[in-house]
Amino acid sequence: MVYLDSAATTLQKPPTVARAVRSAMGRMASPGRGGHKPAMLAAKTAFDCRETAAGFFHLDDPENVVFTLNATHALNLAIKSIVKPKDTVVISGYEHNAVTRPLQALGCRVKVAKGPLFEPEVILARFEQLITEEVSCVVCTHVSNVFGYVLPVKEIARLCRLRKVPFILDASQSAGVLPVHMDQLDAAFIAMPGHKGLYGPQGTGLLLCAADRETRPLLEGGTGSLSAQQDMPDFLPDRLEAGTHNIPGIAGLLEGLRYVASKPDGAILRHEQELTALAVKGLSAIPGVTLYASKRPEVQAGVLSFTLAGMDCESVGEELGLRDIAVRAGLHCAPRAHESAGTLGSGTVRASFSDFNTPADVRRLVSEIARLAG
Amino acid sequence: MVYYLIICRSLTYAQRTEAALARAGITAHIRRSPKTIDSEGCSHSVKVSERNLAPALVVLARAGLSPKRVFIVAGDGSYKEVLL
Repeated sequence: MVYLDSAATTLQKPPTVARAVRSAMGRMASPGRGGHKPAMLAAKTAFDCRETAAGFFHLDDPENVVFTLNATHALNLAIKSIVKPKDTVVISGYEHNAVTRPLQALGCRVKVAKGPLFEPEVILARFEQLITEEVSCVVCTHVSNVFGYVLPVKEIARLCRLRKVPFILDASQSAGVLPVHMDQLDAAFIAMPGHKGLYGPQGTGLLLCAADRETRPLLEGGTGSLSAQQDMPDFLPDRLEAGTHNIPGIAGLLEGLRYVASKPDGAILRHEQELTALAVKGLSAIPGVTLYASKRPEVQAGVLSFTLAGMDCESVGEELGLRDIAVRAGLHCAPRAHESAGTLGSGTVRASFSDFNTPADVRRLVSEIARLAG
Repeated sequence: MVYYLIICRSLTYAQRTEAALARAGITAHIRRSPKTIDSEGCSHSVKVSERNLAPALVVLARAGLSPKRVFIVAGDGSYKEVLL
C-alpha cells in the first residue's frame, strides 16, 4: 500500500506509538481517579505528554495544554469560549468545516478574507481590511488541508495583536511540520489533531490555551477535582476535560511528539516538500493533469491537489485505491477552500505526504496516473 | 513521622509542584488529599518531609506556584493547618 492521505490521518507511525498504546492498555488506569499505581502511572503519562507538548509548542505552563478528541473538538472549544451567538468573525477563504460549521451554528456574521491560491500578500491585505472594531475573533488555518497553502499566520496574528482581537489558529496540517510557537503568535488558542503530523493515534488532539484566556466547557462531568462542588472547576486543564481520558491515545501521542521533537528543525517539512516537488515534476508531464502547485516552496507544505481531464475526481481516487494507492478525492470537508481555488464544482484529488513516504511512493502515484490518463 | 502536605487545586498542578521541587533537588510525592482536610472534594497533595517544607515553599514561590493550603501531619496521623 502506498499511503498518501496523511492530511486526513497519518497511517504509518513510529513503532514506539503502537507499543505505548498497548502498554498503556495493560498497565494504566484513569488519572486523578485513584492513588493506586495504575492511576498514578496514567497521571504521569498524561503530565509527560502535556509537558512535552508545552515545550514543543513554546507554552510556559503544561496546565494550558488540554487533551481533546481531535482538532474539531479543540476548535469547537476554542470558538465557543470566545464567540457568542451573532458575533462577527473573520476567517480565511481556506477554512475547514471544523471552523465554519461551529460559526454557522452560532449564527455568526462571517467575513471571509478571500484570495487566490499561494498569494499570501493578497490574503493578508484582505485580513487587514476586514479586522475592524466589531470583530470578536479571527480564526485561520495555518495550512490548507486541500492545497497545502501556507497562510501568513504570523502576520495575521500580529494584526490581531495590534487590533486587540483574539486569534484562533487551526494547526491541523502544520503541527509537527511547521514551527508553531504559542509565545510568538500570542494566540488565544491553537487547535491541533494528535493523529496527523504528531503521529499519535486517532482519537487524540490538543488545545493550547493562552494563560489568561477564559474558557467554556462543551461537556460537564467528573474531573477528579473539587468533587463536592457542582460547577466545573475554573482552572485548566480540568475545566475542559470532563470524563475519563483516552490514556492509551495520550501515551501514543506522547511517543509521536517525542518522535517529531527528535527530528532536526525543519527536516520533516523539507522531506514532504521534496516529495511534493517530485510529484509536481512527474504529474505535470502527464497530458490532462491540472496541478494546484506553487513555484514558491515556502508557501506550500506537503499536500498537493490535482485533477485529471475526463475523469471525475472520485473515480480517480477509486481507481488509485484499486491499485493500492490511498489518496482522498472530493471536497475534503473544505468547500470554502475549493471555492477560493475555483474547484468547488469539480473537487480535486489530493495526495498528502508524511515523514514515512519515500520517492518510490511518489513514482508509483505518477506512473498510475499516467496509465489512467493514457 | 511528621511531614507536610501541600494541597493543590488539581492533579496537574500537583504534578507541576512535584516537578518544580524535583528540579530543585527536593524529594516530594503526590498523593490524594485526605478527605478530612479537603472539604471541597477530591484533590491531590504533595508530600514533603518536615525539614524540606521551608526550602520547598521558597522554590514554589520562585516558580509562581502557590499552594492552596498546607497541613502538618503529626506522628499520630492528625492534621493541623499551617498558616503561611
